Amino acid sequence: MFFGRKQQKDIEQQLSKRTYWSFAWERFRKNRMALWSWRIFLVILFVAITGDFIANDKPLYCKIDGKRYFPVIQEYAVQLGWSKWEAKFLNTPWYEQTFESQFWPLIPYASERLDYKNTYKGPFDKQNVKSWRFRHWLGTDDLGRDVAAGMIAGARTALMVGMVAMSIALLIGLLLGSLAGYFGDDGLKLSRIRVGLNLLFLLLGIFWGWGSRSYAISEGAQATNFFLGFLIIVALLVLANLLSSRLERIPALGKRWVIPIDLIVMRLIEMVNAIPGLLLILAFVAAIQEESILYVMLLIGLLAWTGVARFVRAELLRIRRMDYIDAARALGFTQWKIIFRHALPNALGPVLIALSFGMAGAILLEASLSFLNIGVPEEQVTWGSLLREARNYPKAWWLTVVPGFAIFISVTIFNYIGDGLTQALDPRLKE
Amino acid sequence: MTTYLLKRVLWFIPTLIAISFLAFGLSKCTPGDPVMQACFPEDTPFDEAVFELEYKRCAQSLGLDRPAFYFSLSSAAYPDTLYRIQQMERRNTLSKLIAQYGNWPEIESYYHEIKQFRGELAEVPDTVAAYALTSVRADARFLPLQYKDELVQRTLDSIRVGVNSDPALVQRLGASFKTLEGRYSAIKSQATPGRLYVPDFKWYGTRNQYHYWFSRFVAGDFGVSLQDRRPVSRKIWEALQWTLILNGLAVFFAYIIAIPVGVYSAVYQGKAFDRWTSGLLFFLYSLPNFWVATLLIIFFTNSEYGMNWFPAFGTGSLPDDAPFWSRFWEVAYHLVLPVFCLTYASLAFISRQMRGSMLEVLQQLYMRTAKAKGLSERVVIWKHGFRNALFPIITLVANIFPRVLTGSVVIEWIFNIYGMGWLTIESIGQKDWPVVFTIMMLGAIVTLIGILIADILYAFVDPRVRYRK
Repeated sequence: MFFGRKQQKDIEQQLSKRTYWSFAWERFRKNRMALWSWRIFLVILFVAITGDFIANDKPLYCKIDGKRYFPVIQEYAVQLGWSKWEAKFLNTPWYEQTFESQFWPLIPYASERLDYKNTYKGPFDKQNVKSWRFRHWLGTDDLGRDVAAGMIAGARTALMVGMVAMSIALLIGLLLGSLAGYFGDDGLKLSRIRVGLNLLFLLLGIFWGWGSRSYAISEGAQATNFFLGFLIIVALLVLANLLSSRLERIPALGKRWVIPIDLIVMRLIEMVNAIPGLLLILAFVAAIQEESILYVMLLIGLLAWTGVARFVRAELLRIRRMDYIDAARALGFTQWKIIFRHALPNALGPVLIALSFGMAGAILLEASLSFLNIGVPEEQVTWGSLLREARNYPKAWWLTVVPGFAIFISVTIFNYIGDGLTQALDPRLKE
Repeated sequence: MTTYLLKRVLWFIPTLIAISFLAFGLSKCTPGDPVMQACFPEDTPFDEAVFELEYKRCAQSLGLDRPAFYFSLSSAAYPDTLYRIQQMERRNTLSKLIAQYGNWPEIESYYHEIKQFRGELAEVPDTVAAYALTSVRADARFLPLQYKDELVQRTLDSIRVGVNSDPALVQRLGASFKTLEGRYSAIKSQATPGRLYVPDFKWYGTRNQYHYWFSRFVAGDFGVSLQDRRPVSRKIWEALQWTLILNGLAVFFAYIIAIPVGVYSAVYQGKAFDRWTSGLLFFLYSLPNFWVATLLIIFFTNSEYGMNWFPAFGTGSLPDDAPFWSRFWEVAYHLVLPVFCLTYASLAFISRQMRGSMLEVLQQLYMRTAKAKGLSERVVIWKHGFRNALFPIITLVANIFPRVLTGSVVIEWIFNIYGMGWLTIESIGQKDWPVVFTIMMLGAIVTLIGILIADILYAFVDPRVRYRK
């Protein structure tokens, strides 16, 4: 009897510890495809992060003239400016050094390393290499670049594009979606002075941050100056809000306007959705002369936020009518605290679903862009660029099959994860 | 209902205007001088005076001789008449100079002095100090395009060396060159970068590039292509035919296959048929279509792998006067692979939606009633179930419209079909912006129309839907 009661208590304790998220995880695990997709994602993530140690044209460890080197690690230090290569490494490629002992990465090639002795070599062809250790396991392209190394570089690009783009989308989507959902059309009341000052300072901020400094931005260190301009804008907006908090006390300025924020956000979403996305990205990237994957990420993010915003809005429309929000209001919490501490955390489930489908879309978009050879620098090897090369040389089946399969797998796993999340986070589960 | 739709349509206007700002803004940021591209295709050496006149005429014909927008919000350092300097390269140089030093009066007199100097330079007969003269002329040609202090200084130095190398040149150009140098150093010594931070609002009125472009766009005149000077509408019309055929077929096949599959996998929910089709369709959905297209091209369009079954590119090359049916078969034969690539992906999406909505309908009481009445399976499913399950499919109709315009970009590019997608990428490559931005605007309009039509269809299919707001 006594024992039984203790056990019951244990169970109760355990049950109370089980949160919504652990329930969701349990259900997610039951979906085999989703679980395996999650595991594959972790593997790809691992490969992308540790790519330099898996495929590199420098040995991981070597001993030359009695001195030990860790070239892959040293490369990081050199790039950060902490260390310098000795002259002999700069003059002679690593493959031609005479080592006392050496240990190479699994794939002893970097994605951009050319190998003119082995161009268009298939995985099973006879290859002109020193030993089996230096075989191109997945073949090479027209310049002799190793496909396996290219795949790893491609994984890095694909995941980075997906993640950065989705972070931008998340940021914008969460903010706008939660404002629209929480306040609706009649909940957001701002004083005249706040609206006016914010608009004014935004204009001035853009003018001072980017307009007046256009020469520094176009001719000097672009990214730094651009970011500096952004900081100026943010600083001015903060100033505007501090000022208006003071000035609001004057009755004439403090009169409140109702901002139909839901209407505004929904129109904005409609507008962004009406823009043919691929076309805009193509045109934009072509208009900027300098090619960089950064712009691609930024643009995908700026177009993809609508999905997140819609989900968040819908969730918050539901949540804002709940009792605990009323309770929080009654306790006198500020609106911002209620949104971000109380309402948003409960709306995160659907956001995850949107994110995971968004990742699939972003990866696919990046692959099609680099397939079309637009927006991604020529020397950067990506899945899409490998696939593009395949068209020039039909014999090289490995250039089609391998990168295409990678794109397919990564798109599929994010679709499955999204699917699994949809099932696991079913709102009916909460009860 | 009517008021709702009217409201909806009215809401499209600000959306469209915003998108037109975006397209126009982008077109203003694009590199390259559209006038040069349209009227001076090769680097043909022009007589200076003829060039200037010709340039002016061309800029006028493209509507580029106006200020960009109704107003400008720039710094007080910029004059409000900068747009009158027609040549884009020179205008850009001047605005870069202003962005550096902020003193337009000095820059303006420097600019005039360059003109003056070059005028005098042109008057020097070619026989005088031929070698030095050539080099001075070459330098003077580049002077109006340089704004970086270091480069301007270097060019000026080089001109000075050239002028001083021959007494005859010193005599003719010495004084004017001295003024030129003086004007440049005045820019630097009297710089007022502070003025760059003084905001200034300038109003230009409706005689501006945006107004010109947008009012003509609304009237259906999309301008001319910079590449071959053909009307944009003509180019788009030619491309549109192929895209319509391609996507029309793809959409048709997708719905014809997807709807029965969706309905039956809902009816046999959980059974083998459902599981297999769901799995297969999910798999297809994730297959990137440009990969599949590349695979098909590589394996089925050449004899490398012994399966040379289909033509790889284009839409056939039979002349227009060939008999209709042989042309028809030729085109059909060419379109098999691209249509397949476009069909399979949307297949999954449509049938998934169909299955979802059918599942919901199957649980309704009226379905049970229909079955209890003793109606046949077929009538129950198709007449009572399917019609009610069509409702969510209607929303998908909205997706068809933008697809017709821009949905097959990559596939058209891969298979070399001269449709809208191909035209877009081609135009982007050739920096033919009027075409690109027209397609973008049309794409947006068509998307909005799609949304509107979905709204209307909603009300027709389900009389319970009342748009009141």
